[in-house]
Amino acid sequence: MYIQVTLNVNSKRYNVNVAPYHTLCDVLRDQLGFTEVKKNCGSGECGGCTVIIDGKPVCSCIMLAVQANNKEITTVKGISSDRNLHLLQKKFIEFSAVQCGQCTPGMILAAKALLDNNPHPSEEEVRTAISGNICRCTGYEQIIEAIMSAATEQ
Amino acid sequence: MANVANKVFFRPTGYSKPANIMEAVKLLAHYGKKGQFVAGGTDILVEKNPDIEVLIDITGLGLDYIKTTSNGIRIGAMTTFADIVTSAILANEPYNVLVQAAYQMGTPQIRNVATIGGNVCSAVPSADSVPALLVLDATFNIASPNGNRSIEVTDFFRDTRKTALNGSELLTEIQISVLPTRTGAIFLKKGRTATGDLALVNAAVRLTMTADNICQDVRIALGAVAATPLRIRKAEEMLRGEKPRDTLLKEVADCVSKEIKPINDMRSSAAYRRTLSQILVERALKKVVTKLSA
Repeated sequence: MYIQVTLNVNSKRYNVNVAPYHTLCDVLRDQLGFTEVKKNCGSGECGGCTVIIDGKPVCSCIMLAVQANNKEITTVKGISSDRNLHLLQKKFIEFSAVQCGQCTPGMILAAKALLDNNPHPSEEEVRTAISGNICRCTGYEQIIEAIMSAATEQ
Repeated sequence: MANVANKVFFRPTGYSKPANIMEAVKLLAHYGKKGQFVAGGTDILVEKNPDIEVLIDITGLGLDYIKTTSNGIRIGAMTTFADIVTSAILANEPYNVLVQAAYQMGTPQIRNVATIGGNVCSAVPSADSVPALLVLDATFNIASPNGNRSIEVTDFFRDTRKTALNGSELLTEIQISVLPTRTGAIFLKKGRTATGDLALVNAAVRLTMTADNICQDVRIALGAVAATPLRIRKAEEMLRGEKPRDTLLKEVADCVSKEIKPINDMRSSAAYRRTLSQILVERALKKVVTKLSA
């Protein structure tokens, strides 16, 4: 039943044995310890489990682990290096865009995927980019400001 | 013990990724109700059908493409919604009604992996791609171990979550023939939230107008208001051969709200859906007329 897959997570290769029904979110969290990938709704509606695969944000909780075989996966830990926070992370702190933090990893990755493809988005484009990420705390204004500010400084 | 667990939880123990279409449909024929095709997986991993024992991954069949041919456009069933949204081929009137639908489906994350074939074959009443495909007169190409066939979009949806596919068939391609000039189309959707929700009602309208402003071809399709997405032919007939006067457009929209069979469910009421249908259809008709008059 178990299938060996190779997952490239934050530029490191991991070989894992997964069952056909394992989701990428469960494998990342439970087998590989990437608990920064949050499992909030577990049904692909809130975006908390967002990771970036091949440059695109996807919900890992509704992706089969087997289908992530040989893919390049980025979690929020992968966007900073040696304790130097990514610009987006600095802006989220500066603009108070983090409260409970549960939506934050997914939110930052959705923003990063946007800025990587579109370095100077309009506010409308930012809102669309995070339209799959639900935040129960902030009301989104601080998040949008943080992302727009990061865009001006890129 | 394993069989008991399988009936309660989604626990397929088998996974296969066929390299070609014939292999895929033969696998499905072999496993029958215990097998399930998986493409993007965004419906399957929410639905979590406990009867599934084998997942058949159909993302390796080369079916993600959008191409033009001499008589129209062919869209591979594995094309993602994100690719439909950014497609240069689908950007033009009236084919971009499919882009409008794709853009309003789900969330960016879901659009990056969800496929149009999966959306169509889910056959849920609210499937966003379907009203657009209904007004574009799409044809579906189907593969099976015994050969291929084509089904018109109007014949494909039999009941809620039931399509015309038999147990060993795969939707491989969606074909859209070239439509006449002076054709315009619009897709509108209303959910409880601005994005990310299932449609309370979705609607697509397509008009082909003659040079002297007569509605030559009329297509009006709605989702989430009946057991399947459907065209409202009685309303289409009211408009065909006529000029699109505002009063007539209102009557056509009123007809739609009477013809549909919406239900009360956790998202909305039948009464609200009737009101919404009238509003969306009238709005869509007016927008298309404005587009074609410009």
